[in-house]
Order: sequence, then C-alpha cells, then structure tokens
Amino acid sequence: MPAEDMGKLSDKLRLTFAVSTVVCVLVLAISPVKDFRAEWKHYKRAYVKFAQGRSDTKRLLGDYTMEIDQIWLPTMNVTDRCMTCHQGIAQPSLADSSVPQPFRAHPSIPHNIREWGCTICHRGQGPATEVAEAHKTTLAWEQPLLPARFLQASCGSCHQADIKEAPQLARGRELLSYLNCQGCHRLNTVDRSRLGPDLSSVGYKVSREWIYKWLKEPRTVLDKDGNTTVNGYENGDESRMPKFRLKEEEIRALSGFLSVQKAKPIEVYKINPAVVSAWSKNPELLSQGELRFRQMMCTTCHPLAVTRAGETKLIGGNIGPELTKIGSKVNKAWLIAWLRDPKSYLPNTSMPQYRWSDEDLYKVSEYVTSKLSDSDLFSNVPQLGAPTEEEIQTGKRLFTDKGCSSCHVLNGAPTQKDFGPDLTALGRKNASELEFSKSKIERNLVSYIQAKLQDPVSVNPAARMPQYSWNQEDLDAVTTALLSQTGPPPTSALQHLVIPKKETAFQVVGAFAQVFERYKCYACHRFNGYGGTLAPDLSYEGSRAQKKWIAEFLKNPQTIRPALILRMPQFNMSDKDAQVAAEYLSLVLQKPDVDPESVDVRQFTPAMAAKGKQLYEVKYECQSCHTIGATGGYVGPNLNNAGNWLTPAWIEAWLRNPQALLPDTLEPRRNFTEEEIRALTAYLLTLRTGIKTQSVKSAGNLHSLAQGAGR
Amino acid sequence: MRKKLIPAILLVSSVPAILFSAGCKKEPPGNSATATFGAYDTEPDWNDTSKLIKLGYAESQGKHIFYTYCVWCHADATPAGPSNRSNLTPMPPLLNDGDKLNGESDEYLQNMITLGGGALGKSEMMPPYGKTLTPEEIKSVIAFARAIAQPPYQKPGRPGSAYAPK
Repeated sequence: MPAEDMGKLSDKLRLTFAVSTVVCVLVLAISPVKDFRAEWKHYKRAYVKFAQGRSDTKRLLGDYTMEIDQIWLPTMNVTDRCMTCHQGIAQPSLADSSVPQPFRAHPSIPHNIREWGCTICHRGQGPATEVAEAHKTTLAWEQPLLPARFLQASCGSCHQADIKEAPQLARGRELLSYLNCQGCHRLNTVDRSRLGPDLSSVGYKVSREWIYKWLKEPRTVLDKDGNTTVNGYENGDESRMPKFRLKEEEIRALSGFLSVQKAKPIEVYKINPAVVSAWSKNPELLSQGELRFRQMMCTTCHPLAVTRAGETKLIGGNIGPELTKIGSKVNKAWLIAWLRDPKSYLPNTSMPQYRWSDEDLYKVSEYVTSKLSDSDLFSNVPQLGAPTEEEIQTGKRLFTDKGCSSCHVLNGAPTQKDFGPDLTALGRKNASELEFSKSKIERNLVSYIQAKLQDPVSVNPAARMPQYSWNQEDLDAVTTALLSQTGPPPTSALQHLVIPKKETAFQVVGAFAQVFERYKCYACHRFNGYGGTLAPDLSYEGSRAQKKWIAEFLKNPQTIRPALILRMPQFNMSDKDAQVAAEYLSLVLQKPDVDPESVDVRQFTPAMAAKGKQLYEVKYECQSCHTIGATGGYVGPNLNNAGNWLTPAWIEAWLRNPQALLPDTLEPRRNFTEEEIRALTAYLLTLRTGIKTQSVKSAGNLHSLAQGAGR
Repeated sequence: MRKKLIPAILLVSSVPAILFSAGCKKEPPGNSATATFGAYDTEPDWNDTSKLIKLGYAESQGKHIFYTYCVWCHADATPAGPSNRSNLTPMPPLLNDGDKLNGESDEYLQNMITLGGGALGKSEMMPPYGKTLTPEEIKSVIAFARAIAQPPYQKPGRPGSAYAPK
C-alpha cells in the first residue's frame, strides 16, 4: 500500500462500511418491528377498533392498556395471559353470539374468571402469547386446550364429590364404578366398585357349555335376536362383563376349570310333594307363576327383554343381572336354593331374601325355568363333556393371567390388585408420556383415551384390556371422568381447594338390623347418604310417614307414584318384621327440625279443610301434578291416602319449603301464607283411601300410562 | 488487515441474527377436532331427531334443568316414558314450540318461570320456580328453549348496533 494512501479509505472499504451500517441498523430495528407486529398486539388493536364501533366504547375500554394482561396465581402454578387477546371475557355486554371471537364474553359460570383465570378449566398454555402456542400442541408447549365437550373433566380435579353442574362427569364416574374399572386400575374419586360374582361354587350354578358361551360372547347371551344392540343401548347400560379376546382352547380351558369349582354344596330343597302334585298338571301353572313373578316386582332390580310392537327392549332396573334367558342358564335346584337364601351362595349379594311359600316357590321357579329360557342358546356350542386335568390346570393359570381374579373371587382368595396401570394421574399426562407405539392415532391425550376405550388393541397389540362397546355418550362420559384424574394437587398449599367426597356409613342396630340385612333395604333406598338411589331417600321417613302406614305398606306395597316404572317388591314380609321396621323407621329416621308436636290436629275444622280443597283445586291447581281419586297428573305422588300416610308436621314443613326436607325434589317452593298452609294440611289429612271422583279422561290416561310404563 | 476484519465480523454475525429472528416461527400441524358430540352439549331437534343441535354452556346447563323439572309437562316424551302434558287443560306448550315462544321476550319468560302462570294471567298450573331455581338457572333454561326452537328463534337486533343480525 503506498504511503499517501495510508489513513484514507478505499472505495471498496467505504462500501463495506456503508452496507454493514445499514445491516446493523436493520438488525437493531428487527426487534421493535417484531414487537410491534406481535400477534397479541394485533388483537389489542383490533379490540380498540371493535370497541369504538359500539355504543359502550367507554366501558369496554375502561381498563385498556397496550400491555399483556396476566393473571398470576403463584400457589397454583398458574400464569394466564389469555385475557390479552380475550379482552371482552368479563364484559357482560359482549355475551351475544354475534360478537366476534376472541372478544366474546365468557358465559356466566359459578367461578369468578378474573380470580381463577382460564387454564385451570380449559388447560392449554397460559403464558403463551401466540394463538397456536396457547391453544394447541407445539414442540415446546405440550398441553393443548381441552375440547369443550370434555370440559367437565376440569370440575373433577377439585370437586371430588359429584356436582349438579357436571352431569357428564358424574355419569362417567358412575360408569367407572359400575363397570368395576377399579378392579384392574387405580382411580381416584370413583365410588367403591361392585365386584363381579364370587365363582367359588359356580359349578353348581351353571353348565360348562354356558360358561363357554358366556366367555365367547358375553353379550349375545343376553340378547334375544342374535345381535348385540339390545343389551346396553336401549337400556343405556354397558354390559358389566366385557369381552376378552380369548382363543378357542383358552375358552375351553377356562370353562373346564370353572365348571369344576364346587367349593360349597348347595342345600337342595324339596318342595312339598302335595303342592307339586296339585300344580304340576294345572294349565294355569305358568301364567300363575308369571303373575307372582310380576307381583313380586323382580324387574325392579332385574332387567328383562320385552318385545312390544316389534321392538325388543330391556325393561327394568340394573341392580341385578338380566333375566331374559336365565332359565337356560341356571340349574333348577340351584335356583330354588338361591331364591330361598341368596346369602348362603353369595355372602355379599344385594338380593333380598323373600319369604316364600312352597306354592309360590314352585310356581315362580317353574315359570322362570320354562318361560325365561331359550332352546337355541347352546346351538353353536360344541359338546364339551367333562374337562381333562390339563384343561383344568391351564384354566387355573389363565384365570390369573387374564385378570379374571381382579373382579371375581375364587375360593376365598382376595381379588388381584393393580392388574392394569395406575390411572390416578392420567388426566394431566402429555402426549409424549403416552405409549402410542405404531398406531395411527392422533398424538394427543383425548384421542389416546378414546382409542384405548373403544379398541384397546388398536393402541397396543398386546393389550390385556378387554373389549367394551360404548355408545357415544357413555364413551364421552368415561373419557371425561378419566381426564378428571389429575392426581393429587401439585403443592400441599392447594390441598384446601379439593372438595372431598363424603364417606358415609349407616349403622343399624337392634332388631331392625336383621330385617335391614334380610330385605336389603339399602340396595334401593338411601339412608343418610348411604345406599342405593333407585328408590326414595328414607333418611327422614320417620318424620314423613305415619308408623301404622309404614307397617301396612311394607306388608303390601302399593304404587304411590304412578309414573314410576320400578316399584317396591312384595317380600311377603311377616307381621313381626314389618312392625320392627316401622318402629325403627318412625323412631330413628327423624328430621330434627320437623317437630311432630308442632301441629295440633284438633285445631283443624271442616271449614278449614273445605278452604284447603278450594286452594288445592282452584287457586293453586295442584291437580296438574298430583292425583286424587282418578283425577290429576302423575308428576308428584298420588295423594289418595295422604291422611293416613303423611304426618301433619311433615305436610306443613313440606308446604313451607320442600327443598329444605328433600333438596332434590321437583316440587317447587311456593309462597303459601301460614293460613293457607294450615288449610291445605287440614284438607290433605281428610284424604283417605276410598275417595271416588269421576273423571273418565284422566283415568283412561293413567291406565294407558301404566301400560306404557311396561307394567 | 484488522480494519477489513471488523465489517466482516459484523456482517457474519448479523446473518444468524436475521435468520434467528425471522425463522423461529413455525405453524404446528393443524389438528381438526372430530365432529361428534355427546348428549351433554347437543340436543336432537324434536321435530327431526336425526338432526343434532349444538348447545353452548348456558344451554347445556339449561338442558339439565329442563330434564329435571320441566320435561314432565313441556315435552311429549319424558325419562319415565309418557308425558303429563296431555293430562292438562290448557295443554302446556312444548318447549321447542317456536310459534308460541319465539314471540315472547326473555324477560317475559323469566317472569313466567319465576312467578308462575297465575301471576301473569295464564294457567295457574304453571307453578312459580323463583324460590326453587336461581335466576341464572332460569336464564339457562330459556337459553335452552331458544336453542331448540322450531321454527328457529331469531334474536331481536339492538337498534343502532353494528352487530344486529342482518
């Protein structure tokens, strides 16, 4: 380089400097431009524009700033920036569906959105400020938004007890319990399951052929037409025994093994020969048997397939097993022993012990074994004969390997625990934590759960989980309940947020304990939160019903609610049992704030009763829901015998506030004055059975109703 | 030599900076939700049960309340089977009867349910639910009625609103 050029810049160097300066400025400018063009700022500006086009601009822009809005709940690990874009979320005037998203207001919910934020319920990524990252799964952010139809799952993370706002979740939990998913999986917040039957003496009950058929296709045994849609769908319930994918030789081995399970011999009862000879030739035998079967209301607990107008439907309760083909299933000697004393075969059964006369026992058992049967049941079952020793040994091994012992007890051995994976934290898993193997399922939690429920093999070819067949509603309900299994709260500081399920127990003492256990009152009725939900809650029966009425009702139950399909069975209860139960119910099951002394019946005059009748029929038109005589609706109980049935104190308390006595009752709370309440009570107490009113129309309706209801 | 290096370093270092700031944005693969909905957020059209009507949050809560309290008289089929509707004179309107209900405002229906038929000069057979259901619950039942109405319910437009239905 020449000396005179030293210190001077060549043109080339100048150009380089110029270019690099421009580049440098550009690079420095990228950040502010990127910031200006950020997705969230776009929505911020759009919101201002939107608000300015409306009449309530000032209120909509009241707390507007060009910043990220954030809800921060450090104890819950929640940072929600959703409101940065969803700016109108708490503006009631933006609730209309014509308001464009993301500005629409949130529907009103029991929780304050400003206090709790969005991701606790909707999941997704709270801290994200871009649409895709907030709502979907990206490489770095794995938790996608929960699809709206499973949203009730989030309620279940805190509300372990069922709430009425989340019926889908409640149904899902009910199914998890009903299908005994806890037999194999660990689950939270699901009721204690009902196990499958104890198989220790199953060899006395059914044949090897029946077991073979049942294992091969548990559903078609229940089905009359050879298709599987009758059971489960029409009735809304899944079959409790799922289908296991068993090979032919496995079915043979298992059926062989089970058919030799004869731990405790049944007690063979010989029906009085005089009764048998008097009835066996009588052409009325089976129709009389059917009549007694119906009168005893077996179908309150057991479903039965009924074909009416070409359509086959299961009708009846779901507490006991389906009985359509029971006659081809069980052995007659077993049936008689079972009916006489169910506890001796299954110690934990919910089947009540009826009091049988030999005549009833003969008629009903003949009806069940000959009419509730199907001669074609075993048409495609091969002749199996006695099992070989090898089959028995293989069956024994399979019983454990296939997980049968998770639901069924055998020879007193406790059921197997944790056969399947622990699901208590399934609901908060990310897609990367799930085993999709090579399946073609969309990589997210919801798709995984639904695929696994519908067809376990589609997710994992080696799955041991049996095959269920769900309708869409139940599938979604179970998915919701599984998504709600989010494990314990992340920090102990959050423990107080969990609203636990109340554990209830109802202890009965004294002479009533035997009656209670014998007739299994708790299988259908609820007592202080314990027991079934099929029949009315009896927690306060002593305050509600008169003692004499209870005793009479137990001996000869009558229908109080005409709309009900399922009714109280007739147990042929002895006078002593009925008396003991009535004493106990009326003494112990009292509502403390309904004081039986508070109403003095002597104050009621015929004039008051007449006024009450006037109020009942004209002013309040109670007959729209209640029936007296043959007139009225059937939404509420019929009041024909109200004077003998209800206690005066209960009637008054009920008229004041029905929900205070039974929170779930349909009867709306009215604005009766105290005088009206007294008059109505006086009137209702005059109602005793035997009242005749002439309304042909309503009587006809009620008749058709009773038919339509299936009984 | 050293003076030549500085711009070169600047240039070289700016390249990844530009690349970094421009290239880190990527769209995740779109996942379209499946179009089947359970019964808690849909209701079949009562006049044509093959059609499903989608329900929002308030409407689905309303559906739940309707099927607990109202269905017995305001539908022809009930969870127990037949309906009490035909027992009553005058016959209560079906909940989806748009011809009868679309003309009534939300406020009127809210009053009707809260105060009962008698208070508004209609049949006393419609009892008041104001002390049994909360105003929110009643609102949700109305929202449900609006959602399933046949012929469909049209929201009255707010005068002067840019978002009034055209």
